[in-house]
Amino acid sequence: MNENVVLVQGLKKSYGRVQALRGIDLEVRRGEIFGFLGPNGAGKTTTIRCLLDLIRPDRGAIRVLGINPQADPVAVRTRTGYLPGELMLDDNLTAEQQLHQLNDLRGQRADWHYVQQLAQQLELDLKRPIRNLSKGNKIKVGIVQALMHRPQLLLLDEPTFGLDPLMQQQVHRLLKEAQASGATVFFSSHILSEVQATAERVAIIRQGLIAEVAETASLINRALRRARIRFKEAVDAQPLWTMPGVKLLSFDDSTNLVLQVEGEMNGLIKALAAFPVLDFETERPSLEEVFLTYYESDRKEA
Amino acid sequence: MSTVFRHALRRFRGQVLSWGMALALLGWMIVSVYDTIAAQQENIIKLISNYPRELMAFFGAGNRPLDLFTPEAFLSFEFLSLAPVILGIFAVLTGSGLLVGDEEKGTLDLLLAHPISRSALFLGRLLASVVATLGILAIIWLGFMVAMSWSTLRVGELDLWGPLLSLLAVLLFFVTLSLLLSMVLPSRRLAASVAGLFLVASYFVTSLSSINDNLETAARFSPLSYYQTEEAFHNLNAHWLVGLLLVAALFAALAWWQFQRRDIRVGGEAGWRVPALALPRR
Repeated sequence: MNENVVLVQGLKKSYGRVQALRGIDLEVRRGEIFGFLGPNGAGKTTTIRCLLDLIRPDRGAIRVLGINPQADPVAVRTRTGYLPGELMLDDNLTAEQQLHQLNDLRGQRADWHYVQQLAQQLELDLKRPIRNLSKGNKIKVGIVQALMHRPQLLLLDEPTFGLDPLMQQQVHRLLKEAQASGATVFFSSHILSEVQATAERVAIIRQGLIAEVAETASLINRALRRARIRFKEAVDAQPLWTMPGVKLLSFDDSTNLVLQVEGEMNGLIKALAAFPVLDFETERPSLEEVFLTYYESDRKEA
Repeated sequence: MSTVFRHALRRFRGQVLSWGMALALLGWMIVSVYDTIAAQQENIIKLISNYPRELMAFFGAGNRPLDLFTPEAFLSFEFLSLAPVILGIFAVLTGSGLLVGDEEKGTLDLLLAHPISRSALFLGRLLASVVATLGILAIIWLGFMVAMSWSTLRVGELDLWGPLLSLLAVLLFFVTLSLLLSMVLPSRRLAASVAGLFLVASYFVTSLSSINDNLETAARFSPLSYYQTEEAFHNLNAHWLVGLLLVAALFAALAWWQFQRRDIRVGGEAGWRVPALALPRR
């Protein structure tokens, strides 16, 4: 069995003079939940649509479940569930009719009890006409259609965009259930907390290039931390913030110090041994802060 | 492909019924006034003989003596001469929207994420459009047959299929032309406009070429020059019929080739960029 469910090498795609993808390399491992993180226009949707042969890359190689989607798109799509970023459904049908129609295209492979179970979990009324559904409910129909045939790979473009927080959590649960039953999940998002809560690994895309691929936890761990130190008495703490990788954020009353530490904390802790420390706290940054550092570095370069 | 065909045909149901019923009703009205008009034959001939030749040319009676009162001529004059333009609207809208309609609505993305090849989608939809067109013609035929059972106007059941087959070939020409244009032009609306203009221009050129020799060369390139009305009841020109169908098949093949190669748009109507006018800055 191939370990990489999605393998992308040197993927390039332009729309006229706009370079959407400028040479992307990605590997998504079997059975993982992989978050694809980036702001709007970074190239997330373009990448996902290339995986399904909806658009054709200018250069680069793609393998999905070991198959070249351009050579055999039907084989890829048979094993894949897809939720488009801009989901459009047939307004003249009910949710149930729409799902039946899509199931028809899959050769009636879906287990209808499972469809009903998914609809129940998402609190989706299948009897309602699609034209009467809210955007959130339409997305629920999209999620059900992506999951209903129990695909080996789920490609979801912003799956929780437009859902309320409770429903977002429900979707995350469904993704974890799909993973538990052996599926690989590749989802894009610009909601950092979502990726942080769900994905085991994350790729950050910016301006058509992968800025970083890492395990979500390690990305957060090895990035910046904030250290809050309270001293018993006023001290001259300058030696602390002149250490390599350490930056002063604030120092109030010469007793309350807040530092930003990049990388290992070891050096700072050793240096603190020479100070009358009353309290010491560290905070890990959210993925959002990590994410923003990539874009701040971009702005500085610019 | 059969699933795509079934789904597409189901979507055509309403259009087939509405176009078919409307034109069958028109046919029924035309047949039902035949007896009254035939009774007024002399007066009507006098009236029509005062019409300008240019006007008569549009009814397929430009350069020949008018014999309006045979059933074949009457049906041609009243219905068949205009049918390619009327049903041409259906053909142009159907062809231009066959795939790009869904693309612009944004539903093609989800559809093509399912295990269907682009070829199967293309062929399933195209075949459904052919069957839908045939369905409309069948309803029209039925309308005429029912109406004729109450009238003195009579043509053979099979004979009416002569001009209807010729009409089918013209309609398929415009379905596939619009489909091809929708593949190469940036929007459905533009494809429909170009194909619609060509349809109307063809009608004018073909009609007027019967009274103006200067238009004969242009008329050779008009598909409507190979459409038969009155003559097709008993003498359908198979070469013209097959010729139109072959051109339609060529358009379909080119459209298929283009559909295989192109990116599927996410949604919305695309457009050609017109360079913005560079206004001098103050």
